[in-house]
Amino acid sequence: MGENHSFRSYNDEQPNQLRLLIMLHNIGATESSKALTIQQISEWTRMEAPELQGHLQKLITSGYAQSFRSEETDKYHLTIDGIRKVLSLYS
Amino acid sequence: MKVAKLTWEFPPRVVGGIARHCEGLAKALVQQNHDVHLFTLDFPGSPNYEEMDGVKVYRASTELGHPNFLTWVLLFNHFLSKRMADVSQSFDFDLLHVHDWLAAFSGISFKHYLKKPMVLTVHSTEVGRAQGLHSPNSFSINGIEWWATYEADRVIVCSQSMKTEICDHFNLPWDKVDVIPNAIDTTQYQTSVDREMVRKRYGVGYGEKLILCVGRLVPQKGIEYFIRAIPTIARRYPEAKYIIVGEGWSRDILEAEARASGHGGKIQFTGFASDKEVIDLMTSADVLVVPSIYEPFGIVALEGMATGVPVVASQVGGLAEVIDHDRTGIFVYPRNPDSIAWGIDRILSDPDHAKWLTENAKEKLHKAYSWETVAMKTVEVYRKVVE
Repeated sequence: MGENHSFRSYNDEQPNQLRLLIMLHNIGATESSKALTIQQISEWTRMEAPELQGHLQKLITSGYAQSFRSEETDKYHLTIDGIRKVLSLYS
Repeated sequence: MKVAKLTWEFPPRVVGGIARHCEGLAKALVQQNHDVHLFTLDFPGSPNYEEMDGVKVYRASTELGHPNFLTWVLLFNHFLSKRMADVSQSFDFDLLHVHDWLAAFSGISFKHYLKKPMVLTVHSTEVGRAQGLHSPNSFSINGIEWWATYEADRVIVCSQSMKTEICDHFNLPWDKVDVIPNAIDTTQYQTSVDREMVRKRYGVGYGEKLILCVGRLVPQKGIEYFIRAIPTIARRYPEAKYIIVGEGWSRDILEAEARASGHGGKIQFTGFASDKEVIDLMTSADVLVVPSIYEPFGIVALEGMATGVPVVASQVGGLAEVIDHDRTGIFVYPRNPDSIAWGIDRILSDPDHAKWLTENAKEKLHKAYSWETVAMKTVEVYRKVVE
């Protein structure tokens, strides 16, 4: 199959923040009751907190994730647009 | 008949066409006095049980996750099975109807546990979506799809091209597969829309052309080829505005492509839009472009036909069966920006012809694509497996 007739694979082209979005979805951070702290996300993703925070901020700016403060800790979860973005990979 | 339907996608969890298909079919089956129990996944804000126009909807909560996609699919199937196990204590289902590979694990387990027949609808294939198998996950998904078609008593697809694809690819017996096209509820599209207000809302001025594209922002939808056609279209129609509706993993890439086209200011990405917003936009647009490169059916073309917008579509897969070229719409070559620009110009340059196309399209739609007909044909398949 020629180059022009093959799809790009999402695995090849996902920027890190999209990979993070997918991971957050697959580990279940899809609503406020299932939101995770930076430390919990770091354990799942093996990303260091500063890098993670940068990616999460970009996801929040794009409207795909949101955060709230609970018991003096920031928690993060996907928005409905974020969930739909991830599901588009699989459908 | 008592039918247990399994799907990973059901409103408001809408990703692609499966949710709309399952909703339309389930409601039409209920109208024909069948008892439909639908098992699906949870979605923020949705109850874990509700009745929607008589369809009993059970949403399974996925209580465990995993970063790996296939592991996550296996986990959610476990929770789907758990929900089915509870409900099947109270209802004696006549059959199971599974939609796509994502719910296949639960469906196959319950087929064996309940000793009931299983019907599988294949909405698309991994090899088609990805135009090949390029990763370990793809190979696994392909294997699961084959396994599901093997376990199913009968397989339903939405177009002849899909029947050919799955019979060739999975070595399925030709007579095991039934073709039942998709449909839409045309009454939803017969609403009064203030076109000027809608156009104003999206910054489309009086006399400007509105060219619309609706679909998930993923490579198989071919939206990049539509964006590449825009410089050619803009030379002939400098005031035209372009609206791209949908969400998907390629959005960043497509937005970058739009900026690089030199016409980024005229191209608007709306993200996910509600059904009402999509209808408003389709009713207000001058052309609907469906530039897909892989499309098992292409329900968006039917939606466009129902709203009365002229449709320009790639001649691929199911689209090639839905549209009659130059009679109910315009066909263009897939992956070909020049051809897409030609098709759009064919519509915009001849409004009388465009109007004639939309009248023909509406007539065809009413005759061939109603949920009532789809439900009747589906029940014929159910009867084959139950008897």
